[in-house]
Amino acid sequence: MSAERKKLLSVAALSLMALFLWWAQGHLDGYKIQILNLVAINIILALSLNLIYGFTGLFSLGHAGFMAVGAYVSSLLILPAAQKETIFLLEPLVWPLSVLQAPFFVAVLAGGVAAALFGLLISLPVLRLGGDYLGIATLGFAEIVRVVANNLPGITNGALGLKGIPHYANIWWNYGWCLFTLYFIVRIVNSNFGNVLKAIRDDETAARAMGIDVLRCKVISFALGAFFAGVGGALLASLLTTIDPKMFLFLLTFNVLMIVVAGGLGSISGTVIAGVVITVLLEWLRFVENPIDFGPIHIPGIPGMRMVIFSLALLFIILFRREGIMGMREITWDGLACACRRGGKDRG
Amino acid sequence: MKKIAVLVSLLVILGAVGAACAEEPVRIGVYLPLTGQNAFGGQLECDGILMAYDEKPEVLGRKIEVIVVDNKSDKVEAANAVVRLIEKEKVHAILGTYGSSLAMAGGEVAEKAGIPVLGTSCTNPLVTQGKKYYFRACYIDPLQGSAAAKFAMDVLGAKQAAVLKDVAQDYCVGLAAYFKRAFEAAGGEVVADLNYQSGDQDFTAQLTTIISKKPGVLFIPSYFAEGAIIIKQARELGGTFHIMGADAMDNPDMITIGGKDIEGFVYSTFPYAPDMPDMSPMAKTFTENWKVKFPDKDPNANSAIGYDSYMLLVDAIERAGSTDPEAITEALAKTMNWEGVTGSTTINETHDAVKPVGFKMVKDGKQVYVGAVIPEM
Repeated sequence: MSAERKKLLSVAALSLMALFLWWAQGHLDGYKIQILNLVAINIILALSLNLIYGFTGLFSLGHAGFMAVGAYVSSLLILPAAQKETIFLLEPLVWPLSVLQAPFFVAVLAGGVAAALFGLLISLPVLRLGGDYLGIATLGFAEIVRVVANNLPGITNGALGLKGIPHYANIWWNYGWCLFTLYFIVRIVNSNFGNVLKAIRDDETAARAMGIDVLRCKVISFALGAFFAGVGGALLASLLTTIDPKMFLFLLTFNVLMIVVAGGLGSISGTVIAGVVITVLLEWLRFVENPIDFGPIHIPGIPGMRMVIFSLALLFIILFRREGIMGMREITWDGLACACRRGGKDRG
Repeated sequence: MKKIAVLVSLLVILGAVGAACAEEPVRIGVYLPLTGQNAFGGQLECDGILMAYDEKPEVLGRKIEVIVVDNKSDKVEAANAVVRLIEKEKVHAILGTYGSSLAMAGGEVAEKAGIPVLGTSCTNPLVTQGKKYYFRACYIDPLQGSAAAKFAMDVLGAKQAAVLKDVAQDYCVGLAAYFKRAFEAAGGEVVADLNYQSGDQDFTAQLTTIISKKPGVLFIPSYFAEGAIIIKQARELGGTFHIMGADAMDNPDMITIGGKDIEGFVYSTFPYAPDMPDMSPMAKTFTENWKVKFPDKDPNANSAIGYDSYMLLVDAIERAGSTDPEAITEALAKTMNWEGVTGSTTINETHDAVKPVGFKMVKDGKQVYVGAVIPEM
């Protein structure tokens, strides 16, 4: 397929997506829009983790920490000054932050940049570790961020958290950032730098023997992942309009990790598919917690049932399809065309 | 044949008329943490709400339908749960939740949709701040903190206090801050203000510092798991000061964990105890019904507040005379001296319940009701 045609198809797909979002905004109720928004944010988060873990092979469990940094930085920039005065009950907000204001786009960007800076800062010492050790070290980083947030009431309002964050993160912002993340990460992965990352993942010693500056590449990948994690955190904060340190527990990282693993480590399409499926499934499965009547048989609602079913589904994925939904494959226009042709031949 | 046809059509018409007459039920949504780290409190409150529902399943001559949704003690889930209740279940009003951070996430959604919410035990002052549609059936942390300070000064006669709080819990942080403020405003002195993190097991370092400062009272606004251990360790280290806590320690397990060391421990809670003297009629019915329904567990403050929130909401719907969310909101705001299990409740202009704060003391291995304080705010 020619590059021209692919471009055309991409533009068509994009406009279809935009049309769908425009239709959704007008016709779907708030519940479904909330889930659509969460889908976009989860995709951003999962893509950023996939860059770190799936493409560079760095087992990182620090995502909640980067999200927290992004969420706090951007929230403090968009909170109206009056709101800042009323919610800081324990200690007033420290000076420069109490007057700083920024438009939403700048605030989200600042959140991402701050998270990336933290990523740079911890990656230099931590990335000398490998495998499980790196996982433990990054997990420690996320915990440190949370504990520090608890103990700095002058900046984060401590355990009381921030509330009344303006709800700027609508469908357009979320999907705009999601698209930007997708584009950016696809471009990186398909570039020469992406090949370097994959080489490091597959065999670090061989990569080093080829003359690759392994640490430098790892640090860049880690910081980029942290940037998008911060962006995701910032969007989530604005979508929920309230954050507190308890939100950024290890479980949050686990949710993102689940999407990445279920979608396929090292597959962008897999991450996007899993992001949609898992976010929607988590909500849709709520019906199993309601009382159900099968004719004469009455099953009372059991809270937590949803997670049981969910865990079973994950078990099945890991047992029978360890590489995730997509493995390392990608959906491309070429692949689709190929499948279409084959389908056509079968019919014919 | 014709007769049958006429009969059938008559039946169809009757059926249609009947269906039109049977009015749609009043739908009350409940969102509580039934799983996750706050599940303990959420389930007790849910029990209380469902018991109240069994007693009063009708309002305005219409059936009530209660829809319970789990929020998994998670902020994102809490917001989703409220959106679901409003958009999918089309509820007229909502009850919930245990845990202030969850209430803040859910409240934002309800505020936008204009659906009234009555909080059960979300005591952080930020929950209802600036909200038109969020109310709560519990008192807020400042109220309880200042009541505790008053009790410590007037009844225990303490002039110096120490505070040991969990910095990771908004509940503990808020309560400690307001205790400190009220205690200092009343002329007392706070000699030590120390922190710990949820899940800590060893408090000896903080307690040694506190003992060296010789306070008259130690205020620990903790949850019961840590609270009981703190008391035990304080006594083992030789601390002889009074120890005070708050409603999160109104739990039978306190005595099981604390044993003998917990004797004399005083804590503030809702003015309700299964064994309190001169109980109100409502509290009496609640206690009796609870013992029938759950013979193997004692009612505690959480179940009582769950019960009360349901009853208060139904009362507000009755006073509103309709299920219009605006009318219910207005009726809730006008609640004055409503008699519930946990005492006479008035909703003030910040949508918080003003009610007396009860105090209990552990005596001979039992939690004994001491009395109530009406704090000045």
